[in-house]
Amino acid sequence: MSKLILLFLALIPLLCSSFSPETPSDRRVLVLLDDFALKSSHSLFFNSLKSRGFDLHFHLADDPKIALQRYGQYLFDALILFSPTIERFGGSVDAAAILDFVDSGHDLVVAADSNASDLIREIATECGVDFDEDPAALVVDHSGYAVSATEGDHTLIASDDFIKSDVILGSKKIEAPVLFQGIGHSLNPTNSLVLKVLSASPSAFSANPKSKVTTPPSLTGSSISLVSVIQARNNARILISGSLSMFSNRFFRSGVQKAGSPIKHEKSGNEQFLNELSKWVFHERGHLKAVNVQHHKVGEANEPAIYRINDNLEYSVEVYEWSGSAWEPYVADDVQVQFYMMSPYVLKTLSTDGKGRYFTSFKVPDVYGVFQFKVEYEKLGYTSLSLAKQIPVRPFRHNEYERFIPAAYPYYGAAFSMMAGFFVFTAVHLYSK
Amino acid sequence: MARSSSKDAQDLFRALWSAYAATPTNLKIIDLYVLFAVFTALIQVVYMALVGSFPFNSFLSGVLSCVGTAVLAVCLRIQVNKENKEFKDLAPERAFADFVLCNLVLHLVIMNFLG
Repeated sequence: MSKLILLFLALIPLLCSSFSPETPSDRRVLVLLDDFALKSSHSLFFNSLKSRGFDLHFHLADDPKIALQRYGQYLFDALILFSPTIERFGGSVDAAAILDFVDSGHDLVVAADSNASDLIREIATECGVDFDEDPAALVVDHSGYAVSATEGDHTLIASDDFIKSDVILGSKKIEAPVLFQGIGHSLNPTNSLVLKVLSASPSAFSANPKSKVTTPPSLTGSSISLVSVIQARNNARILISGSLSMFSNRFFRSGVQKAGSPIKHEKSGNEQFLNELSKWVFHERGHLKAVNVQHHKVGEANEPAIYRINDNLEYSVEVYEWSGSAWEPYVADDVQVQFYMMSPYVLKTLSTDGKGRYFTSFKVPDVYGVFQFKVEYEKLGYTSLSLAKQIPVRPFRHNEYERFIPAAYPYYGAAFSMMAGFFVFTAVHLYSK
Repeated sequence: MARSSSKDAQDLFRALWSAYAATPTNLKIIDLYVLFAVFTALIQVVYMALVGSFPFNSFLSGVLSCVGTAVLAVCLRIQVNKENKEFKDLAPERAFADFVLCNLVLHLVIMNFLG
C-alpha cells in the first residue's frame, strides 16, 4: 500500500505539462477583468491566444477566490491584468504577490486606461514604468490623431512609431498605424531593461482634455511611451500598455487614417501589432538557450582539465531558439566568447554552421592563472545568455621550453669556436719550433 | 709642429713594428690566438648591444669563454717567454700543462653555463 502511494507520488511531476525550462512557452494564463463584458468586447485578442494553445482562466479582479499560488506552487504561468480600475484585488492577490510572480520568472501583461487606479499605477512603477501622475490626463495629439467622423478631442491617436526589432514585432512590417486611446507613461533613461515598443509622435502631450492646459505638461513628445515591454534579468517579460481599448475588437476591426496623411487603411495595425507582441511576451519568440559547451585542444577530442600557455584550443557551444513548439537552431553572427581572467584576454566572434552550433579556435595567451570561457550575450528582444566555464592555465614545464634559443646562436658559436681554437692552438704550439 | 708630431708618430710606429718583428715565432702565434679571442668577444658584445641581452647567461658564457681563453693564453705567453727573468726556472712543458688543464676547466664551466 505504501509502495503504491510512493509510486503515485513519483509520477506526479510527469503529470504536469506546464511551463518548464524544456518548454518555455506559457500555458495557463490567468486573466483578471473589471467586468465580464471584456470577454466579448475583446474576444478577437483572447481567441488568438486560445488558438495558439493558451489555457485562459477568466476571473473578476475582485473575485475573492483568485490565487496565484497554492502551497508554494504557482497555479498559472502568466498573468494578464485587464482591470485598470481595480482598487484592491480579491483573494490572495496583491501588488506584492504579483511582483513575486514576476520575480519567479513568469510573464505579465498590464493594461491601464484613462481611469487607472493607484494599484495598477503602483504595479507599473515597480516594473520600471511611470504613468503620468495626473489621474485625469490622457495622451492628446493634435497632429497625430486618428481621423474619425466626429471631431473628437484628439485623444484617439494613430501611432506608427514602432521599435525596430524583428524579434519583438515580427518580421512582417506593420503597414497601418495602431489606434490608441489612454494614458501615457515615461521610462527612466538609466533603466536598461525597459524598451519603448510604441512611442507617441513628437507632437503628443499628456494632459486633461477637458480642462485648459495652464502649466506645461510633464510628459511631451516622443518621450511618451504608449506601450512598453520589460525583460527582467530572470528573463520574465512584462508588457505595459496605457490603453485597454487598444486590445478591443472595435479597434482591431476599425479602419484608420492618421491626420495629415492621405492614406486610409482598411484595418488598423492593432491586431497584427498585439498578436506579434503577445507572441514575444509569452516566449514564443526570442527565447534562447545555450547548451553543450565543449572545449578541447586542437587535434584532441576529450576535454582536458588544464591548459598550457600557447596551446591551440577549440571552443563550441550550441544555441537554440524556442519557436513556440520546438527548439530551432539560432542563427546569428554576433555571439562572442571571452577568455576571461579579470578582463578578457581573448575575445572572439563565434562562427556558426547554421544548425545551432557556434565554434571558434584560438591560442591560449601567454599568461597563466585560472581563466573562464565566458559567453555574455544580450541582444535587444532576446533572452540574455550568460555562460561561464572555468579552466586553469599552467606555464611551461621545465622540459617544455625550446632546447636551443635562436637568439643565442652567436654565443653558442663563439664558445665552440673558442674550443676549436684552443685545440688548433695546442697542436700548433707543440709542433712548431 | 703638426708635421713633426705626425712624423714622430710614424717613427714611433715603425720602431714598435721593427721591435715586434724580433720576437720569437711561438710568441707571435700566442699573440695571434689572443687577438682571435678578443675579437670574438668584441663581436659578441656588439651583437648584444644590437639585439638585447635576452639569454643573458648565454651572453656571459660566450664572452667569458673568450676572455678566459685570452687570459690563459697571456699567462702561457708570460711563462714561456725566455726573456722573462721571473720564470727562468719554470719548464715550458709545465706552463703548457697548466694552460691545458685550466682551459679544460674553463670550457667545462662554459658548457654548463651556456644553457
